[in-house]
Amino acid sequence: MFVVIAGGGRTGAQLARYLLDEGHQVHLIEDRKEVLARIHKEIPTEVIFSGNPMNPIVLEEVGIREANVFAATTTSDEVNLALCYITRENYNIARTIARVNNPRNAWLFDRKFHVDAAVNQAELLSRLIEEEMSLGDMMTLLQLRKGRYSLVEEKIPVGAKALGTAIKDLKFPENCVIAAIIREGQIVIPRGTTMFEVNDEVLAVTDDDGARALSELFVKLAKG
Amino acid sequence: MKAIIVGCGRIGAELAYRLFKRGHEVSIIDNVTASFNNLPADFEGRIHEGDALNEDVLIRAGIQNCDVVAAVTNNDALNLVVCHVAKVEFNVTNIVARNYDPIVRDLFETFDIQVVSSTSWGAQRLEELMYHSEARTVFSAGNGEVEVYELAISKEWDGKAINALIPCDDCRPIAITRAGKAFLANKDTVLQDGDLLSVAATFDGIEETRKVLHSHAKEA
Repeated sequence: MFVVIAGGGRTGAQLARYLLDEGHQVHLIEDRKEVLARIHKEIPTEVIFSGNPMNPIVLEEVGIREANVFAATTTSDEVNLALCYITRENYNIARTIARVNNPRNAWLFDRKFHVDAAVNQAELLSRLIEEEMSLGDMMTLLQLRKGRYSLVEEKIPVGAKALGTAIKDLKFPENCVIAAIIREGQIVIPRGTTMFEVNDEVLAVTDDDGARALSELFVKLAKG
Repeated sequence: MKAIIVGCGRIGAELAYRLFKRGHEVSIIDNVTASFNNLPADFEGRIHEGDALNEDVLIRAGIQNCDVVAAVTNNDALNLVVCHVAKVEFNVTNIVARNYDPIVRDLFETFDIQVVSSTSWGAQRLEELMYHSEARTVFSAGNGEVEVYELAISKEWDGKAINALIPCDDCRPIAITRAGKAFLANKDTVLQDGDLLSVAATFDGIEETRKVLHSHAKEA
């Protein structure tokens, strides 16, 4: 895949290195001299393009017309938003990804500006912390892009209602599919006859109603 | 008219004050407190300190119920984003933006936003004034891509058709003012000494006409 990244700060440079390791073609745009000096030591020179990513000439130079994915990772929310809109409108980029710097600006990062995926670092961090704090509760891992579905994860506690019954015999809500079970570090693909065990981590694709019903199944039976 | 202005620098403050003086209801937003010092002491519009990308700030400034939004900061990306949000999220129909860096001027067209390129327009006007004074700009359309000029006709052009003076299609005659009265002109209209000839021209078009005027002046 050919990925163009705007912004060569720590986020953009790290993303470029990762994608290069994965075998993708990457072009990265950065205009701050001090940042350029640093990333030239970390990333192959042919990947780095010096210039203002808002400048249409610079975008043409990096080959934006051929890119499959555009990632806006500058430290300016307005630049990331404007770039996602422009790259879709003018160059028909298939997929745009933007970094959210200030979580208060998160409301702007959606279809309005042709942002397909927003990466909100502050929100990710607080979710991770929340996950650490609330072991056993259901976590939303991924909000799917279209519709109301999410990928959720839940750990089966001791004494859960769902223990001891085959999946096909559990009354699952309609809009909920068990995607995988992580058992002692191994992925188990669920079948109708599979039974949940204590400490299983269950991954499910579900809507909000399904998620509620699912957590009902995984709560402990009443004490006593 | 209820107007929201984003950016209280020189242009924003001047614009806000002009609108206020004409009796309009003005809200002005800037995230730097000191920038409001640019406003004259008798400005009585509403002042909002805050980030114009923050939904609460926009709503407090009255974006849900305003007639016009002008984004005039020196940050082009911010101007674009604020205008686009005003248009698609709050259905404001009358929106104008300032373009600061001429390099990104075309992006305002991508967003379909009316724009004034203060930097390039100012530079172009100054450039014109540095050349010659025989063609005076009286009106700028758009951002000066087409301007209306007044040419003072001297006696060496007396009795000649406009055709002789205007060599290309990028400069077109509009009117002649003769003895205080104006009439529409075309390429065949015959000039007289003392006429004021109004033409509409691109930058290249007026340059061509200037060259004709000059070469003629040298011959004479």
